[in-house]
Amino acid sequence: MSSDPYSDRGNKDLSLGNPKGMGTATPVKPGGKAYPAVGGPFLIGENMTGGYGAGPDILHDCTIAVDRGEIAVIVGPNGAGKSTGMKAVFGMLNLREGHVKLDGEDITQLSPQDRVARGMGFVPQTSNIFTSMTVEENLEMGAFIRTDDISGTMAQIYDLFPILKEKRLQAAGELSGGQRQQVAVGRALMTQPKVLMLDEPTAGVSPIVMDELFDRIIEVARTGIPILMVEQNARQALEIADKGYVLVQGRNAYTGTGKELLNDPEVRKSFLGG
Amino acid sequence: MMDLLNAIVALSNFVIIPAMSYGAQLALGALGVTLIYGILRFSNFAHGDTMAFGAMVTVLVTWLFQSWGLSLGPLPTALLALPFGILGCMALVLTTDRIVYRFYRAQKAKPVIFVIVSLGVTFILNGLVRFIIGPDDQRFLDGERFIISARTFKEMTGLREGLAFKTTQGITIITAVIVVALLFWFLNRTRTGKSMRAYSDNEDLALLSGINPERVVMITWLIVAGLATIAGVLYGLDKSFKPFTYFQLLLPIFASAIVGGLGNPLGAIAGGFVIAFSEVTVTYAWKKVATYVLPESMAPDTLVQLMSTDYKLAVSFVILLIVLLVKPTGLFAGKAV
Ligand SMILES: Nc1ncnc2c1ncn2[C@@H]1O[C@H](COP(=O)(O)OP(=O)(O)OP(=O)(O)O)[C@@H](O)[C@H]1O
Ligand SMILES: [Mg+2]
Repeated sequence: MSSDPYSDRGNKDLSLGNPKGMGTATPVKPGGKAYPAVGGPFLIGENMTGGYGAGPDILHDCTIAVDRGEIAVIVGPNGAGKSTGMKAVFGMLNLREGHVKLDGEDITQLSPQDRVARGMGFVPQTSNIFTSMTVEENLEMGAFIRTDDISGTMAQIYDLFPILKEKRLQAAGELSGGQRQQVAVGRALMTQPKVLMLDEPTAGVSPIVMDELFDRIIEVARTGIPILMVEQNARQALEIADKGYVLVQGRNAYTGTGKELLNDPEVRKSFLGG
Repeated sequence: MMDLLNAIVALSNFVIIPAMSYGAQLALGALGVTLIYGILRFSNFAHGDTMAFGAMVTVLVTWLFQSWGLSLGPLPTALLALPFGILGCMALVLTTDRIVYRFYRAQKAKPVIFVIVSLGVTFILNGLVRFIIGPDDQRFLDGERFIISARTFKEMTGLREGLAFKTTQGITIITAVIVVALLFWFLNRTRTGKSMRAYSDNEDLALLSGINPERVVMITWLIVAGLATIAGVLYGLDKSFKPFTYFQLLLPIFASAIVGGLGNPLGAIAGGFVIAFSEVTVTYAWKKVATYVLPESMAPDTLVQLMSTDYKLAVSFVILLIVLLVKPTGLFAGKAV
């Protein structure tokens, strides 16, 4: 048993409580301010050190960044801290050290809501759709912070992912894995983000749909939205990447352009399977 | 033929109409419970006393209005006081949330801890209400007592059986329909309502979408305060206002919410009526109806009452047990219990 007096003491009776969908993140608290920080890439998590709650550090002096018009890809073994790094950049966990900067501002103290309002869009690796809501409602929730007319953006998403238009009145939880990923990416695009962060958008997706999704992602990037992406399909991802990061045990192991990493013998040997 | 009509009238008078209005009250109560369960993720044992508090404020304001000579004519003055009761109850739940529940939310406490906390809150509210208004029965009903009284009905139809339709029963049913329609429209059609469903579905993703969790929680409490006060006042008008009955009412309300499927608003409504109809039919003395319907030779000598009204609370639990045995998620597939 843990020493935390507020943790689960083994009672799982669902007539008392409804743990499904309960938040697990310990996000940065609302009320923080952003400070000007001129220069540097469009979005950067700089020298990030931190972990979950009071637990041990998962990230150690880790830096990931993406600049305007670029696709940056993060690869690395399971448990390397790729998802943790993405969450840290989004304010879903508290950093012990380091800074997050967006578009000339230090946003380390901003809550996730405020970061959404500043134009960041994030598709997490797991639980990335509202399963009990329809596809259309998922997209609407993506646009929650917008007060203008969202029908144009929604039409664009339906153009990008035609299958979603067909299924728009169906509960998102009833879709196939690949379709869910499309809903998840669509939801994040609904804010018209200035930068898009994708954590394994192609997980559990068939090769054909995967190619398709990659094409869509490149399409989105061409519209000028910088994309920071974690990928297991390292080779394919690095091929389209302007910048690549290899994370190992929460540290930057290798950094370079996509091509450099693909041609680096060390990286090939340990992460790309020869 | 006449006998059959008489039987139907007697049945409506003693079973259908009372069960409809009781069911509507339970449904409103269960909706509040189910909303808290779905969005704040715990079973709120303080709901009964929240109803009592809202109803108490309404009673006090009603008395004030009555002393000023304000009235709604044939309708009870309490309807005029109801908005003030709701405001009072909203202030109460927001205060409790601020000084009690928010702390546990910040600790990310598990639902079961909230349940016990709500039990503490209920005892405090219980004391507070009795301290302010006293433990006794209070009358606050005025206006016309009947929409149709038994005597008028008999004169109108020439039937032997009378059908009484109390004003409070009419008000209960109409109010419940309006409130439920509004609530469903709100949850399914408005942006704020959808954001509440999104938060219930997946808190972290709601956060990533820019939904403010504290605002969702606040709006939920406000709605629940409204539902609780309306349910409490309607029950008080229909029966009478007595603080302790609300604490007891918690049991059938929970039974309704669970029978319908916790976390499912439609289920809460269905559950409310299932429980109400079972309670009333099981404790009703069927002799009169049976005498009309059955041939003379088979007319019953006893009251044909399955259970005395003292056991009506037990009925809720038997229904609850049966439903959970057959369909553990409740009638409308809430969370598996
Ligand atoms: N919510 C959490 N609370 C505590 N520790 C966590 C949590 N999520 C992940 N971890 C730990 O952080 C470490 C890094 O996990 P992370 O999810 O960032 O890995 P990853 O690189 O994304 O791996 P994968 O490729 O499998 O997605 C792991 O050791 C994991 O046990
Ligand atoms: Mg991951």
